[in-house]
Amino acid sequence: MKIQVFLCVLLSFVSTAFTQEKQIDFNSEKNIKKFADYLFCDKDYLRAAEEYQRLNAYKENDTIIFKSGLSYLFIGDYSTSIDNFAKISNSSLFYKNSKLEQMKAHYLKKDYSVMRSFYKNNFTNEYDYSDQAEKLFYFSYLVSEDQLPQKEKFLIPFNSNENEIISSFYDWKNDPPYKSSALAGILSAIIPGSGKIYTGDISDGIFSFLVTGVFTFLAYDNFHADHDTRAWIFTGLAAFFYGGNVYGSVAAAQIHNAKITFEFNDGLNVFLQNKNYFVPVYDFCN
Amino acid sequence: MFKIVLIIVSLFTLVTTAQTDWVKWGKTEINYEKKDRTRHKDYSYHGGSISELAVKTLANAYWFFISDLDGDNCPFSPTCSSFLLQSVKETNVVQGTLMFFDRFTRDYNFIERYNRYPREKDGHYYDPVSLYTLNVDKIKYIPPSAVVEP
Repeated sequence: MKIQVFLCVLLSFVSTAFTQEKQIDFNSEKNIKKFADYLFCDKDYLRAAEEYQRLNAYKENDTIIFKSGLSYLFIGDYSTSIDNFAKISNSSLFYKNSKLEQMKAHYLKKDYSVMRSFYKNNFTNEYDYSDQAEKLFYFSYLVSEDQLPQKEKFLIPFNSNENEIISSFYDWKNDPPYKSSALAGILSAIIPGSGKIYTGDISDGIFSFLVTGVFTFLAYDNFHADHDTRAWIFTGLAAFFYGGNVYGSVAAAQIHNAKITFEFNDGLNVFLQNKNYFVPVYDFCN
Repeated sequence: MFKIVLIIVSLFTLVTTAQTDWVKWGKTEINYEKKDRTRHKDYSYHGGSISELAVKTLANAYWFFISDLDGDNCPFSPTCSSFLLQSVKETNVVQGTLMFFDRFTRDYNFIERYNRYPREKDGHYYDPVSLYTLNVDKIKYIPPSAVVEP
């Protein structure tokens, strides 16, 4: 009996006393790095970047600088990301990767001219990753408003798997399937609704034709039957529907062109994301 | 005696190591009230040009005598009457009227709406004035697959 009581008291004392016995120094270099690495692998890049900055080794360790740069890149802070990658010395294992990542950051920042001059100054034919960098270099012409290079020259860096789709992107960029808003307006002025059919809105075009046609017929029919008041009301309505149809055709062509641009840019983004911006995938988490 | 000691020790252990984060585990108030998605009409006047006031009066009359009795039937957002008000405000009375008649024609078209316009959460087709002002910079294309927050 006494032993049981003693054991119970001892057990409760031990469990109470040792619950928070072990003091952990969360601010030690080792634990900050461990936590930062955990956040990085958990894709919490904002906090990971902050934790990497807290490390004293931040200025010296190229792996930490590189991962910090990647963290800033993932959260969209491209300028800080470029600053981080630029700190990596040429003796580091990550030096060549950092150059490629800087190109990617310039691309994502939409500094295409800066990106291209960066490529010309840093990548030579003998340089590792120059093939990938060259792909990104030429790809940037598809998203910018700059003059496209010759198609033969443009396609050289891309391999046979990529060639077909890049070629279609090039053709699309070179001659986008836009519709002329002036032509859409003129067509609808001649035959109501035909401008909308030209822009691809076939059902809208048919309804435009029907609505304008019905009100025109009603106006004509009422004039014919000497119902002048009704005839003038229908004439007014027909005129407004006719005007709206011409105006709407011009607007439809503009919307069609916006849709084409949207789909083109979306296609480019999806392709580039699938290719990881022609940058290698790093495995820091396994 | 042993039982009392055992109970005291158990209670003591329980209390010292128990969960103290009452906020985290506290009771939460859940609201099951359904969100009101009714489109309320604004009858008030907020100044503007003479043409805007005239169009606003026309729209108010339509709302009061027809729309409020007929119900919320326009499949688009903004509704055709609100579209007229907004287009006149954003452009001018002539252009706004043409935009309205174009919208009115598209309103008749019950075919292919689903693959032409994005939808709002309440199911209305999103068709803003900004797409039709003929100002290319104002056109922000939204794909039909997108869901727009009203």
